[in-house]
Amino acid sequence: MAKEFEPNIIGFLCNWCSYAGADLAGTSRIRYPPNVKSIRVMCSGRVDPVFILEAFKKGADGVLVAGCHPGDCHYQSGNYKTNRRIKLLKKLLDELGVETQRVRFEYISASEGQKFAAVVTDFVNELKNMGQNPIAKTLLL
Amino acid sequence: MKKKIGVYICECGPNIAEKIDIDKVIDAVSSLDGVAVVDRYKLLCSVDGKKFLEEQIKKQGITHLVVAACSPKQHEQTFMEVCINAGINPYLFQLANIREQCAWITEDKDEATKKAIILVKAAIGRVRYHDSLEKKEIECNPSVLMIGGGIAGIESSLLLASPDRTVYLVEKTSSLGGLITSFEKTYPNMQSCNSIKQKIENIYKNENIKVFTDSEVEEVLGFFGNFEVKVKRETEENEIDEFNVGAIVLATGSTLFDPDKIPRYGYGKIDNVITALEFEKMNLSGGILLKNNKPPKSVAIIHCVGRNEKGYCSEICCMYSLKFVRYLKDKLPDVKVTNFYSDLCIPGKSDQKFYEETKGKNVDFVRATDIEITKQGDKINIKYKNENNKNSLPIDMVILSPAVEPTSDASKLAELTSISQGDGGFFSEEHEKLSPISTSTDGVYIVGCAQGPKNISETIVQAGAATGKILSSLIPGRKIEPEVKTSQISESSCGGCKICNSVCPYGAITFDEAKRISVINEVICRGCGSCTATCPTGAAINKHFTFDQIYQELIEIVK
Amino acid sequence: MIDKEQYTDVLVIGAGIAGIEASLMFSKADRKVHLVEKTSYTGGTAIKFEEVFSNMECSTCMMAPRQQELLQDKNINLLTLAEVEEVKGSFGKFTVKIHKKARYVDMQNCIGCNACFEPCPVSLKNEFEEGLSEIKAIYVPFAGALPNVPMIDTDHCLRFKGKDKDCKACQEACMFEAIDFNQKDEQLELKVGAIVAATGFNIFDSRKTPQYGYAKVNDVYTALEFERLYASNGPTEGNIVLKNGNAPKSAAIIHCVGRDEKGYCSSVCCMYSLKFNHYLKSKIPEIKISEFYTDLCIPGKSHQKFYEKMKETEVDMIRASDIEISKQGKGIAVKYINGNGKKNSLPVDMAILAPAIEPRDDASKLAKILGISIDEYGFLEEENRDDSSVAISEPGVFVAGCAQGAKNIQDSVSQSCAAVGKVLSSSKYREKN
Repeated sequence: MAKEFEPNIIGFLCNWCSYAGADLAGTSRIRYPPNVKSIRVMCSGRVDPVFILEAFKKGADGVLVAGCHPGDCHYQSGNYKTNRRIKLLKKLLDELGVETQRVRFEYISASEGQKFAAVVTDFVNELKNMGQNPIAKTLLL
Repeated sequence: MKKKIGVYICECGPNIAEKIDIDKVIDAVSSLDGVAVVDRYKLLCSVDGKKFLEEQIKKQGITHLVVAACSPKQHEQTFMEVCINAGINPYLFQLANIREQCAWITEDKDEATKKAIILVKAAIGRVRYHDSLEKKEIECNPSVLMIGGGIAGIESSLLLASPDRTVYLVEKTSSLGGLITSFEKTYPNMQSCNSIKQKIENIYKNENIKVFTDSEVEEVLGFFGNFEVKVKRETEENEIDEFNVGAIVLATGSTLFDPDKIPRYGYGKIDNVITALEFEKMNLSGGILLKNNKPPKSVAIIHCVGRNEKGYCSEICCMYSLKFVRYLKDKLPDVKVTNFYSDLCIPGKSDQKFYEETKGKNVDFVRATDIEITKQGDKINIKYKNENNKNSLPIDMVILSPAVEPTSDASKLAELTSISQGDGGFFSEEHEKLSPISTSTDGVYIVGCAQGPKNISETIVQAGAATGKILSSLIPGRKIEPEVKTSQISESSCGGCKICNSVCPYGAITFDEAKRISVINEVICRGCGSCTATCPTGAAINKHFTFDQIYQELIEIVK
Repeated sequence: MIDKEQYTDVLVIGAGIAGIEASLMFSKADRKVHLVEKTSYTGGTAIKFEEVFSNMECSTCMMAPRQQELLQDKNINLLTLAEVEEVKGSFGKFTVKIHKKARYVDMQNCIGCNACFEPCPVSLKNEFEEGLSEIKAIYVPFAGALPNVPMIDTDHCLRFKGKDKDCKACQEACMFEAIDFNQKDEQLELKVGAIVAATGFNIFDSRKTPQYGYAKVNDVYTALEFERLYASNGPTEGNIVLKNGNAPKSAAIIHCVGRDEKGYCSSVCCMYSLKFNHYLKSKIPEIKISEFYTDLCIPGKSHQKFYEKMKETEVDMIRASDIEISKQGKGIAVKYINGNGKKNSLPVDMAILAPAIEPRDDASKLAKILGISIDEYGFLEEENRDDSSVAISEPGVFVAGCAQGAKNIQDSVSQSCAAVGKVLSSSKYREKN
């Protein structure tokens, strides 16, 4: 019997809000799927769209970028830039044949452990339905 | 020098040991390139654990450390100190979070182990690309530029000035004291404003305060700890004074909204309709008189003039309007006073008591809208709506309480000091709650009504707050230690597109016209990485969060 | 001339936002700070809020970096479960006696895994959660509390109450030997040069105004109880539900509760009441909200803008007096007299009371210890109400935040920075006597 497809998700979490929120989910022992492995950045504004493209190129099934809620960015406006970058990136992904739902940008605060777990759970389920990243196999490297 | 990576996995008691097969993790990473030793320990953050790590680093000749344990938000600092004690640069270290984001959230041990292996491999991949980073130290000048010689500027200058800290007090007009010199008394204690005279004397007596009246700031260059300032004096020769300071305080106060802009108040058209400031001056000079030199028998005080136009409540007007009632009753005991207001704003501790004590005989409070000041013969008639009923009141004198607004030179000053103006045109603070007097430019502070409408007591508090900030960050003889993990731009790779200049929230990036490249001031840079993410050539490098470092984590995760 | 025998350490009383800010600033100036906090956690009252006005910023995100910094700062000696018992001396040379209660958990060994909670046989009402949920006798008051180390409530613990002297369920569950029943209360003596009192506030007990139905009528909450209901780390994880488990379809927010009794306006309630409108609409978009107020007090450059934004959400602003809240059918009736003098009644599912801010219960006790006076309302009294509100009649003792009078976070922080400014500037040129 074939094993169920488990999407591989990479997370980019900002140090001040979303990474702390993810930690809080852990401190509160909230169970959620292990599919997300996160990279800590100081600000979601550090997330270069190239990282996201590389992630898909190398086979990631989904990318989660999480930053502070609007107005809360520790560095004033990083999260606004990320929001705009990801909107543009989605257009590019569309052209490349990658479903835009494979990238998620979420606002998660340091006290939203529940939300982090809920977002990951929902993302995993969505990706399970969508299946594997289509370009991982077709792109010649 | 060959890298020797030491990988240590913390059991964290049963927290990690029972949820993750640590031996499997050890097996999975032992033979990776550069990994010299992999071991496990019961509790690495304990005194024994830290000692163990330190000894291991020294004994095994470890050059790069990876610890797999709890969140870096818990113990990154702890293990960085271990590195320092063991003699390696604290930035040649990476902490893999296999507790909060792995062991504690994953039910299945196999799944947790698999995830832990990936996270540890990612940390090893990343640490290979870490660079040693050193703390920076820069000299700083502890002197202060105080722009504005009103109560805020005076209070702060007196607190700050000392033999090793000069205060340069720059005042636009020809005398110190600001608005308070026009008031007879302050609320709620109705104490005399005479004390300002003594304070002004103390300013002039203080040899560590240099006063520049009739002067304005022309130019500000530099950054926190090292500002270069030019001040122009309004003399025949238009003298320019130049000096260096470490911090700048904007204590430029406020002005009153011009009621001329709202014709229905009759200001400038109908006699005996005056503003609050004009009334303060009239009261101070000793004679509350109408244009015909007779004292008024009835006075109306109109609150909230310009409130709708400005879009905020100026906080002080209800209280000073009550103060005016007191002035009037003191000097003209039989005068009839009527206050026209919309919402009574009396938030201070003693304000309500002050209001209740003011309400005595012959003082009326009318909640009114649609106020119109009209002329009726040589008298004034106030038309208004009160609970949907139209009404009118003949009156001798009308005092308008206009909104508090920023001074006309606020934009110029904001540009000079690279700060922004926010709500109401007042200077923007760095953070509405936690940093109300700091700005997004390090070393530039905003106090008093320049920051937003407020009363004298709050202004004096903010003047004290600026003092606190400066005294705790600009210490004579001590160097400033800016952020270590800043960004910098590679000269050879920069294409001069300047996109990063506008992306930096702190104004840390400027363009060098001569070299045609962008340059980051690492003293101002906070290391957010926005420029690095924006740079099309990869010339902008965010230390400790470089492209390569993050990429190495990334490729381990998506394998 | 600086007297070289002055003590340069500083005592800060209260680890709420004002105390935290003052401590961090003193530390930056290289002063050693003794931060004495009565409870087991830092953050004071502001840590109870999910969001703060006027930009609805996440309160935890705002405070957590400061709390983390505080815990890792080598200059700051945080003493939790501690109170000031005696102060002798004068500005520059105070000797302070501190009584520090035992936590019964070793702060070095404990790693914050919470394994000790489950086995504890005792449950009690969680004071932090305003009694809306229960905790064990060994507990951390809320998820994310810092320092993340539990304490034993000896008033309820079976072992300490003598009800079961052999109970060691928590100790047996701990893998780090962090639980130590032999810990003792400590008496500490500190030598400090200046004192900053930042002890915060209580809210008016709404039971004293029975017309609002608090503690009698179901689904009438105080502002702090409602903050915890809305909080994502609170007793309902942020779900706003009535006692019957349903979501409310309508709510009344009552301003000025206790204002007449206290005799002053608490300055923050109108703003946070509008914040509550935002809270409710964000979780239950269809909910109908009515705000009952007397005078709208929203001074400040950004606050009216927030009010205008809230008005766009169709909140009913009702100027009212003589408010009476009673049970009506399955819900609540808010009886009132409106601005035109007419009697009215509004049925709602839920009522939230905005009670006055008042001094702490032990404010006068602390004032006596510090040798300072309290004002006519019971707050710590400043030197001059027209002038500087942080200086106190006793030189060397300063006040910051709501301990001096009701105010918002911005003004509390300004005051704590000003207290720091006063301390750091005074030691420079005070003459030797």
